Amino acid sequence: MSAPQVLLNDPNEYESEKASNSYLMAVVVIMFGLPLPIVNLIASVIFYVANRKAGHFVRWHCTQNLVAQVLTFFANAAGVYWTAGVVFGEREVTNTYIAYIMTLLLFNILEFIAAIYAAVRTRKGKHVSWWFFGPLTEVLVKG
Amino acid sequence: MAKVLLHFIVLALLFFGVWFLLSRIDFVNIFEIEQLTKDTEEKLSAWVLKEMQRGKPELGSDSVQAFVEDIKQRLCEANGIDESSIFLYILLERDINAFTLPGRNLVLYSGLISYCNSPEELAGVLAHEIAHMEHEHVKKKLLKEVGLSMLTTIAGGDASGEIGRQVMKLLTSTAFDREQENEADLWAVRCLAKAHIDPEHLANFLFRLSREKGSIPRQYELLITHPNSQDRAAEILNLRKRETYEPAPISDPGRWRAMKGLTGSFEERK
Repeated sequence: MSAPQVLLNDPNEYESEKASNSYLMAVVVIMFGLPLPIVNLIASVIFYVANRKAGHFVRWHCTQNLVAQVLTFFANAAGVYWTAGVVFGEREVTNTYIAYIMTLLLFNILEFIAAIYAAVRTRKGKHVSWWFFGPLTEVLVKG
Repeated sequence: MAKVLLHFIVLALLFFGVWFLLSRIDFVNIFEIEQLTKDTEEKLSAWVLKEMQRGKPELGSDSVQAFVEDIKQRLCEANGIDESSIFLYILLERDINAFTLPGRNLVLYSGLISYCNSPEELAGVLAHEIAHMEHEHVKKKLLKEVGLSMLTTIAGGDASGEIGRQVMKLLTSTAFDREQENEADLWAVRCLAKAHIDPEHLANFLFRLSREKGSIPRQYELLITHPNSQDRAAEILNLRKRETYEPAPISDPGRWRAMKGLTGSFEERK
């Protein structure tokens, strides 16, 4: 996590709550939507669209959450596809498969923890920029 | 933007690195996940062969066996397959059938040899069956339709009569799904071309089989389980156009006639 930026440093109470909610929503959806990763993505897109005209602080955090969800979606979708092949198709349970599912689990847990941390920090009006997703959000929001 | 790219590369490396390192751990053994291991497959194969030979004896002709082994060798050598890894069984049975069993066992009924018009047609059928073997279609079919726990039970010699009969029926029917048949045909065409055998003979065999379906249905086991033979023959002719080869005969007509005559005489004695 990098240092807060000036522009994003002083949100009002309403903006802090909105920005925090974008992460909380992701946390809740991860808990229920993991078997169907598209659920997470749809929820993040809806939240992003609903807040695209909000203030800079809210928009920035909705975007950061969305880009994180997009990347997670592809990784999780591959895992779901592979698992479906094992359960319903002819694929076998191999070390590579188990390793992939464990890697997915590890990265999802990291994302989960990061989302909770970001929700708490943004609720207090503090800016949180994730590694990779933060700089990418910077490019997207400026663009 | 450069920072974003750099971060992305590091993140990707981290993800794939963790995946790679974790995949070095033998989870399958740690979690004791049952798999159709080589050992189970061999036991299963031994059980199936024993059951089969109980009802259908081997043809027992060294010259017929040697003739078909020669064709198998030619196909294997041309396609970089270890010829000794495939075990060939010719059973004395008038039905027209050929199939593969777990453990790289290839079974031919004598009725199929009698039905072939040329050694090239026989080579076509062998190539198709070797294709099923190379793509592990039998293993996949068994896992899908019988299930791992049942296969392990059978391999352990604890199969009840009905379960055993069902598995035998499944194995000898050689009914694969359309996708697997197409995959096997494509491979067979390439295999034949590499061995300088015209794949047209396999198409001819399938055409003839589909035309004659109505006359002796009982014997046409191969056709009953391969209902789309005509379409497949047409597709084989299409695929054949992509290959380059110079057809070289498998044997002289005299040897082939003698071999068929010998097979026929064994069948009559039965």
